[in-house]
Amino acid sequence: MTNSKPPVPSRPLRVAAEVVENAVEGPGNHRLVLAIPGWPGAEPGQFVMLSPGGSSEAERTDPLLPRPMAVYRGHAAAPPGGRAEVEFLLKVAGRGTRLLADLAPGQSIRLVGPLGSAFVPVAPGKRAILVGGGTGIASLYELASRGTEDAEVHVILGARSDGDLMGVDDFMALGVNCHITTEDGSRGRKGRVTDTLGELLEAPGPPAALFACGPTPMMHACAKIAFERQLECQVSLENNMACGFGVCLGCAVPVHSGGYSLVCRAGPVYSADQVVWEGLS
Amino acid sequence: MTESVDTRVDLGGIALRNPVLTASGTFGYGTEFAPFMDLAALGGFVAKSLTLEPRSGNPPPRIAETPSGMLNAISIENIGVEAFLGERLPELPADVVVIASCFGTDPGNYAELAERLSASPRVAGIEINASCPHVKSGGIEFGQDPRLLGELVERVRAVTPKPLLVKLSPNVTRIDDMARVCEASGADAICLINAVQAMEVDVESRRPVLSNVLGGLSGPAIRPIALRMVWQAAQAVSIPICGVGGIITPEDAVKFMLCGATAVQVGTANYLNPAVGREVAEGIAAYAARHGFPRVADLTGALRLPGAP
Repeated sequence: MTNSKPPVPSRPLRVAAEVVENAVEGPGNHRLVLAIPGWPGAEPGQFVMLSPGGSSEAERTDPLLPRPMAVYRGHAAAPPGGRAEVEFLLKVAGRGTRLLADLAPGQSIRLVGPLGSAFVPVAPGKRAILVGGGTGIASLYELASRGTEDAEVHVILGARSDGDLMGVDDFMALGVNCHITTEDGSRGRKGRVTDTLGELLEAPGPPAALFACGPTPMMHACAKIAFERQLECQVSLENNMACGFGVCLGCAVPVHSGGYSLVCRAGPVYSADQVVWEGLS
Repeated sequence: MTESVDTRVDLGGIALRNPVLTASGTFGYGTEFAPFMDLAALGGFVAKSLTLEPRSGNPPPRIAETPSGMLNAISIENIGVEAFLGERLPELPADVVVIASCFGTDPGNYAELAERLSASPRVAGIEINASCPHVKSGGIEFGQDPRLLGELVERVRAVTPKPLLVKLSPNVTRIDDMARVCEASGADAICLINAVQAMEVDVESRRPVLSNVLGGLSGPAIRPIALRMVWQAAQAVSIPICGVGGIITPEDAVKFMLCGATAVQVGTANYLNPAVGREVAEGIAAYAARHGFPRVADLTGALRLPGAP
């Protein structure tokens, strides 16, 4: 377990947000910027629920459910009576994300958030290694940006191909150590994020703490490495959920303490050793 | 104009400030919604179905989206009656109307639960869950057999002085028969419909999308079915009916009232919009005002059939 305490998340709100920008960044990749009235701010790792069906004048019930989206940038609260601009990274994976990708500036969308647990911050004197796969990097940006003062921060950004990478320039601009990997070698190092992670862990330095968000097999691989080397490792899980605030009970994952834990409320951030990885769908 | 409308209704002896309840299993234990609305803006809420002991749910995947609906197979995961009475109920403001939902595998379980819940002055009424479509035993077994249902309602009726509601399953051939059995066995009101038994398949993996294979379909996809069943039940019984099934807008709720419902429950919509209960309640009052009804209770059964003026 980690030494620091988890931050106390803000009380969520339900509000109509306005689309400020919806930029295409590679095939199927979008950077969605929303102006959110009364945004209470968010902690690193938290998410919101966005309703693709509630995104136009002609509301639809198909798709019915809102989609969880990690807050990428915009963790500060809105000024009193004002709005905050909050960024999300999304990849088109189905009809819901397609509708989100089609949002135009000026349109409004229903939002509930911020929701879920946050990463326990990087402890001073540690070597923080943040491992992000695909859009999973969105959950790690704020953590990287806050962790730069008294800890050595490395960020491993991985994707299948160059076109699937997002936010690289943003992470570069933070001044953290960025390591790019692609499975096809079209950008950065060819291979998987865990190859780079293994190399970093071999290098001399302060004790490492891992923070991972991405596809489940990637996080499971990070959890295994952390277990073998007795390292702290926090992961931010993804799961289907209908509500995002602990009532539909749809996002349950098995945990070693017994029974199931709700990704939306106890998570999405877990210590990797809490999760029964073999039981994840 | 809306202010002049009397929004109160009486659901089988439960005095509600407006006809909108939130449905069991979609509203947790109430406090989860406190960040999004004043819970007292609802007529009341039906808490997550309780069992005598805490109960863990099904393995994932537990939910899946379907056209204008969702499937779930949670299986009555709950904290148990003791934790509900000792921990969750005291957290709720005194002006919130709380209806407790009971689930069991035999009439004895249900009766014991109802008895313990009835001892709390904070419990305004008891709802029998005789219709959960995705547990291996209990629930729907009772809701699909008129004889078993009658025995269950009589057994619970004998131990509770509180208003007694029965949540009915749509997975029956004749809903009117089930409604009559409830009335004859001492129920004060009936609530319908619970989720429709359903399934969905992932063609790429050739697997059912739910670990439980079968689940319950809810959301706007089932609303016309629910409306039909409320209409049929209303022809069959004189006890009040609470209409449930896919309500998202105030107009949806009004349709159920026109077909004979005294009150409604909003379910799946709570997931998309945690303040939907309040908005539906306000919208029903606005509808009544717009159409010249001094009391929302006057909407009940006010359907204009073909040939009528």
